Amino acid sequence: MNSKDCKYTQEHEWIRPEPGNKGSIGLTDYAQSQLGDIVYLDLPAPGTQVEQFKKMGEVESVKAVSDIFSPVSGQVLEINQTVIDEPGLVNEDPYGAGWLVRLELSKPSELDALMDSDKYDKFVAELSEEESE
Amino acid sequence: MKLLKKTPLNKVHHDLKARMIDFAGWELPVWFTSILAEHRAVRSGAGMFDVSDMGRVWVSGRKAGSFLDKVLTKPAQQLEVGSAQLCLLCLEDGGILDDLWVYHVGTDRYLIVWNAANIEQKLDWLCRCSGSDPDIIIEDTSPDTVMLAVQGPSVCQLKNLKGVSHLPRFGHTQTKIGGLSVFVARTGYTGEDGFEIISHAANALPLWESFMEQGVKPCGLGARDSLRLEAGMLLYGQDMDTGTNPFEAGLEWLVDLGKGEFIGKSALLAIKRQGVKRKLIGFQVKGREIARSAYKIFKSDQEVGRVTSGGYAPTLGVSIGLGYVPIELATIGTDIEIMIRNKPAAAQVVNKRFYQRGA
Repeated sequence: MNSKDCKYTQEHEWIRPEPGNKGSIGLTDYAQSQLGDIVYLDLPAPGTQVEQFKKMGEVESVKAVSDIFSPVSGQVLEINQTVIDEPGLVNEDPYGAGWLVRLELSKPSELDALMDSDKYDKFVAELSEEESE
Repeated sequence: MKLLKKTPLNKVHHDLKARMIDFAGWELPVWFTSILAEHRAVRSGAGMFDVSDMGRVWVSGRKAGSFLDKVLTKPAQQLEVGSAQLCLLCLEDGGILDDLWVYHVGTDRYLIVWNAANIEQKLDWLCRCSGSDPDIIIEDTSPDTVMLAVQGPSVCQLKNLKGVSHLPRFGHTQTKIGGLSVFVARTGYTGEDGFEIISHAANALPLWESFMEQGVKPCGLGARDSLRLEAGMLLYGQDMDTGTNPFEAGLEWLVDLGKGEFIGKSALLAIKRQGVKRKLIGFQVKGREIARSAYKIFKSDQEVGRVTSGGYAPTLGVSIGLGYVPIELATIGTDIEIMIRNKPAAAQVVNKRFYQRGA
């Protein structure tokens, strides 16, 4: 299920905070299951400033294109080159090898606005219920 | 509220937890597990599609053949019994009303299989063209039947299809699979070998299950679309419509202007004489961004056309598409740009048959 050590947005991104106000970011399992096979990722270059809940990139699956929003504000430290080359890693391992970028957080308190994994589990469960109605 | 139509296999799709969508008014699976995995199954083994959304119309009676010769762009009566051909239904002005398969099933007996879109409009058109002649009987059997497409290089090794492996390409026969009466044709829409099977709706589930037991992978609309696009096959409503003529769509091979009178013939002769101003091209994007339908095509900062179909080509690992451009840009090798979300992506005009079996 969803990773316990991450915080989540309503747009289905996760951030895994690290010591020193850093963190890695990815798409959730629910996001990848909705998108289907991911074939292309457009991610911000290292050094780019991103803002919380603002568009930071794009993800293309075979069927559709979606924006990726940053869970927090900060500066991009590195991007996952492996996932650029093999976008299917987001489907296979969304919380591990399928991570997208690492950031240095400029406003660590923004993390408080995100859901923890229990809340996000419930959030997704409700969405799935609506879907099956 | 207009409810979505359900095929005889709707329940089994839900049981398999397929992702369902609205396709031309039908609730159909877009994928069961993964579009890429389903696509690859059809290119390397065998996959099956519920294509019951396709219309299945019988045309029979003493004048059935001459009637079809009057409405279709290729001769129907000359078609041997047991054979089939792809052709077009054109309007008086040469616009394409649909592309369809016509199967010569027996004396004065033909089966038409056409697209799900605008079925009522097309049936109405056929009936009007027939002028209610009692010697032309038009019967839509779609609601009472199921249609499966079983496609892939290993289909002839399947127990269910060994018995029809002798059929030539486009050949068809009435036979039995596991004791169930079926109409089987060696046709498809994937660029692979394969069969299309029509049977009574009551046989839908046992047929589906027996193919599943033989290892055939259930496939959805997503793979249906990526397979046909890779093979350079056009989708009605996207790559052609009533505003498109067969010459600009690159479908002149489906039009026989040497045959007798048929609806649209004089307009098509005139179009051929004058030449077309635009042409459907295939293109490959140089990067990995995906070009999707309705994206703009540019040449030297000028908008020159629109993408009609586009997507990732799983077998080739590249981004491909189809679209209309002015004839002078339709030459293979021409550099163009596709505007992908306000960013121009370099692309090149290439052969529309992106993927060819055994190539």
